[in-house]
Amino acid sequence: MTPYTKTEVLLQAKDLQLSYGNKCILHDINFSIRDIIRPGLQQGQVVSLVGRSGMGKTQLFRILSGLQKPTSGSIIIRERKPAEVSPGSIAVFQERAVRPGDMGVIFQNYYQFGWRTVRQSLLLAARRNKLLEGKEEDTMLQYAEQFDVIDILHRYPSQLSGGQQQRVSIIQQLLKGANFLLLDEPFSGLDVCVLDKVVELLQQVSLSDELKTLIIVSHDIATAVAISDTVFILGRTKGVEGSTLVRSIDLIERGLAWQKDVRREREFEETLEEIKACL
Amino acid sequence: MFKPFEKISKQNFLIMVGLQVFFILLVWQLSPIGLIPQPTHVLSALGQLLGTRLLIDNLLVSLLLTLQAMLYSILITLVFSYLSVIPFFHSVAQFIVKCRYLTLTGLIFIFTLLTKDGSQLKLSLLIFGIVPFFTTSFLAVILRIPAQEYELCQTLGYSRWESLYEVIVIGKADQVFEMVRQNFAIAWMMITMVEGLNMSEGGIGALLIKYNKYNDLPHVIALQAIIFGIGLFFDYLLGLLRHWLFPYTMAHKK
Repeated sequence: MTPYTKTEVLLQAKDLQLSYGNKCILHDINFSIRDIIRPGLQQGQVVSLVGRSGMGKTQLFRILSGLQKPTSGSIIIRERKPAEVSPGSIAVFQERAVRPGDMGVIFQNYYQFGWRTVRQSLLLAARRNKLLEGKEEDTMLQYAEQFDVIDILHRYPSQLSGGQQQRVSIIQQLLKGANFLLLDEPFSGLDVCVLDKVVELLQQVSLSDELKTLIIVSHDIATAVAISDTVFILGRTKGVEGSTLVRSIDLIERGLAWQKDVRREREFEETLEEIKACL
Repeated sequence: MFKPFEKISKQNFLIMVGLQVFFILLVWQLSPIGLIPQPTHVLSALGQLLGTRLLIDNLLVSLLLTLQAMLYSILITLVFSYLSVIPFFHSVAQFIVKCRYLTLTGLIFIFTLLTKDGSQLKLSLLIFGIVPFFTTSFLAVILRIPAQEYELCQTLGYSRWESLYEVIVIGKADQVFEMVRQNFAIAWMMITMVEGLNMSEGGIGALLIKYNKYNDLPHVIALQAIIFGIGLFFDYLLGLLRHWLFPYTMAHKK
């Protein structure tokens, strides 16, 4: 097995509950995401949140992103103290409740401002990132080159294909400087070739920084599991209204994380069956 | 051409419209209805009008007044529409919208007391008449903004004021042109009415009232045709300006 250690908690969901009036949507959601350290690698975290339609995945996604407040409970994140950030300084961390803007959010339809060109949208995001002060343009161009959108910088969102929109959304949120990247159904409606590219892209992002944490909300279990290190399953327990996390699977322990051809492994198939049984 | 949802080329569309107009004019010419003048009479009146300075002078007066009123109306509309997302000002914006149901005729006396001269009276009446319609249109634009536009701002860490600026002020700037385009007709319609209140300065409305008074129908219809033509011209011009200033309104998937 690849050597690794799990250290500090980067994100913790504590007793999350969401109700609309008397209707309970989510209850008792508790989980944490820890920093994974692999010697010689900048290994980020990739966590999947899977569940059937109508299980409250989108609501949980919105709560995690800080766009929606839960009825009770909280999301605590660990972040570098802004004042301590300077080249060569020792990072000092603090814990606090998540706020809108803390997470990089990539919506299912990769929404972008229709009145901004790709270049303008990316620069807007880069200017929000204090660490990029003075080098916004250069960093933006680096990402554009890396993610193959350099030729479409002058275009408007309505002139982009779905795959291009997705890449632009990801770069925008990366430029913003968020360590957490939340992706809502990133594999939905993609053909096989594009799907492979998206998987590759997400793996590339997860390897860009040790603290980079991808949280993928998806109902495409096979693809989500193939790129994740941990899977949380959202489901229902008998006799209780609303959804909760019914299971979590550590894919690293099973030797299924960080493997290119993981889909060919028998244990991968078994894990998928196990997840399906929980849904 | 007679099938539902059939698409026809722009050229064919123009030919079709040309033929339809020709057909209507032909029917109009060949079947005179009582006192309504025939197209040839209207055309002759139009030629007469175009040959004098009378039309140009009055037209300029009307256009200047309309443009002035439109400019002030846009500014007032934008201020109250932008502020409408602040709960304190929402009720004010809603009240302006409801002012559509007030008639200008009933307010002439109040406005006469409030203004210094006929020119100011006309201008303020026009602004009062236009602003509720502009505000109604622009508030509808703001209400139609998808929540995702604000959410994208939130995810980028924008403050609420920054979100207002990005999504409404910048993001809907093109819609201001669309709002003006859609409501220019209202302004143009009102100008003929308010010019009737103070005829000393002239204007196309005053001219229209004068010809109406003497039952000079060929000139009335000729003037209507000019008013119609200018309306269409401004409609086209504003559309063109919108696409030129905001290229994304023309951007399509490549």
